[in-house]
Amino acid sequence: MIELFDVTKRFGDETAVDGITLRIEKGELCVLVGTSGCGKSTTLRMVNRLIEHDGGEIHLDGQPVRSFDEVTLRRRIGYVIQSTGLFPHWTVARNIGLVPRLLKWPRARVRERVEELMRLLGLPVAEFADKYPRQLSGGQAQRVGVARALAADPDILLMDEPFGALDPITRETLQHELRELQARLHKTIVFVTHDMDEALSLADRLVVMHQGRIVQQGGPIELLHDPANAFVESLLGGMDRGLKEAALIKVGERMLPLGPRLLASERIAYGASLSQALSVMLWHQVDRLTVVDEEDIPIGELSLRRLLGARAS
Amino acid sequence: MKSTALDARRITPLARARRWLTPLAWLALLLLSAGMGQLEWLFRLIEPDVRAVVYRRSGFFALLGQHILVVGVASLLAVVLGVGAAIAVTRPAGRDFLPLVSQLASIGQTFPPVAVLALAVPVLGFGTLPIIVALLLYGLLPIVRNTLAGIGSIPAEVHEAARGMGMTAGQVLRQVELPLAAPVILAGIRTSVTINIATAALGATVGASNLGDPIITGIVNGNTAYIVQGAVLIGLLALAVDSGFERLLRRG
Ligand SMILES: Nc1ncnc2c1ncn2[C@@H]1O[C@H](COP(=O)(O)OP(=O)(O)OP(=O)(O)O)[C@@H](O)[C@H]1O
Ligand SMILES: [Mg+2]
Repeated sequence: MIELFDVTKRFGDETAVDGITLRIEKGELCVLVGTSGCGKSTTLRMVNRLIEHDGGEIHLDGQPVRSFDEVTLRRRIGYVIQSTGLFPHWTVARNIGLVPRLLKWPRARVRERVEELMRLLGLPVAEFADKYPRQLSGGQAQRVGVARALAADPDILLMDEPFGALDPITRETLQHELRELQARLHKTIVFVTHDMDEALSLADRLVVMHQGRIVQQGGPIELLHDPANAFVESLLGGMDRGLKEAALIKVGERMLPLGPRLLASERIAYGASLSQALSVMLWHQVDRLTVVDEEDIPIGELSLRRLLGARAS
Repeated sequence: MKSTALDARRITPLARARRWLTPLAWLALLLLSAGMGQLEWLFRLIEPDVRAVVYRRSGFFALLGQHILVVGVASLLAVVLGVGAAIAVTRPAGRDFLPLVSQLASIGQTFPPVAVLALAVPVLGFGTLPIIVALLLYGLLPIVRNTLAGIGSIPAEVHEAARGMGMTAGQVLRQVELPLAAPVILAGIRTSVTINIATAALGATVGASNLGDPIITGIVNGNTAYIVQGAVLIGLLALAVDSGFERLLRRG
């Protein structure tokens, strides 16, 4: 659990973070969003004390971060940054094993852990262990960055625009993997991003910041429906909010069991989102889709009315 | 995959030995040349009219040893002081002195070594000491400059990650900064040492005996053979050391 109580940070005359109070529960994925320069990275870096806060208090599991030795503290917190910061003179395996080695794990255990993480992040050991960072693609490098952050199994993970520099497809793959990882590992994650779709799809809780303050926080759907002001509304997509919400809802949640009618000719997977279903309807100019499972077997149907109707019900 | 890596490792010792061929060849040539007292007939061709055509006041091996000793001591001190100073001013505590030191380093580069020597003698007297001091001061500068450049060129995100992962300041220095800056630092040391091998010859003018002796004596007495003997040995020494450094640098 991470708690910030009225936390402030000033750089000279400028107040980068202005009295933030925030509580991130254990196992929660909290996403910070806001315009450039609003203090997201500063907030993140105050948690692992790369930046010291000027006012207020930051607690980890009820203990002030200042009560920890900063080196010990950082080894307990995973940290991932956009530019990866992999050490260019170390192999992938050595980069990933950094924190376990700092913690003086026995060599065999470090190697075991490194290989376990490489498998977890889809980096075949034989192929990647001895590569150097310059030999990796952006997506592979970022996977190594995530593996390095997870190496010593920290409870807390700080991620500063980790997928910001990747192409949309790689980014989506990594988002998906992060979601699966999180479902298994239940880390407490603070995640910074500029990509609103990424924020909405990953967040248990969304925190909107503006000029060093928190403007609003809550679940993604809650914020979409009930933005506190015009700034939050436009940040969340303005008129696109309907589509953004639809992107968060799975077809499976809205479909009806197969009826007596003939199967509709166009199909959609039950794991697809409502926005994708809507897109298929628009594309084929139909108002009814057959919902299929992973094996492409029809399990239900989705009508346009059903797709639209949910908000009222 | 794995097997090619192993194969590569197996042939490495031989391949590595072969890569050192050039520096070793220069070294061999240098040692051979130090025995050039035997080549009296050759130098007689250059200077048919003088009585002594081979410098005999001391043996070439002794002069060579002296030369290496002076350059070695000065360079060692320069490395310790230069790298040390550059590290000190890139730490948070010493950062205030960074502009001063880097400015001194660049100004010092333009200062001719003869001038350093001229300034050192009145203070330190004649002999080996002033030349060591002059070489040290002159050799310091490329080392400081390159160490600063090497550490300064490490990407900010590498620093950020190193600290963020929980490395101590000492671990960041030893495991990240120095290894990453090593090629640039080594290049600075190379410049410093090779320049100083040539510059050390000036020591002969202030009474330090080394390979500069035959040259200075040759100039004073108008004996070209002496000059050639000193110059050839200094040149070969510089080449051997320089190609050794090149070898070291290319490995990275
Ligand atoms: N080390 C620093 N020294 C001085 N000012 C800083 C420092 N770090 C951040 N700032 C300032 O603090 C403010 C907040 O910066 P921060 O990096 O937290 O923004 P951000 O929300 O992460 O922005 P972005 O989305 O562009 O990454 C900015 O105005 C920035 O210029
Ligand atoms: Mg930022």
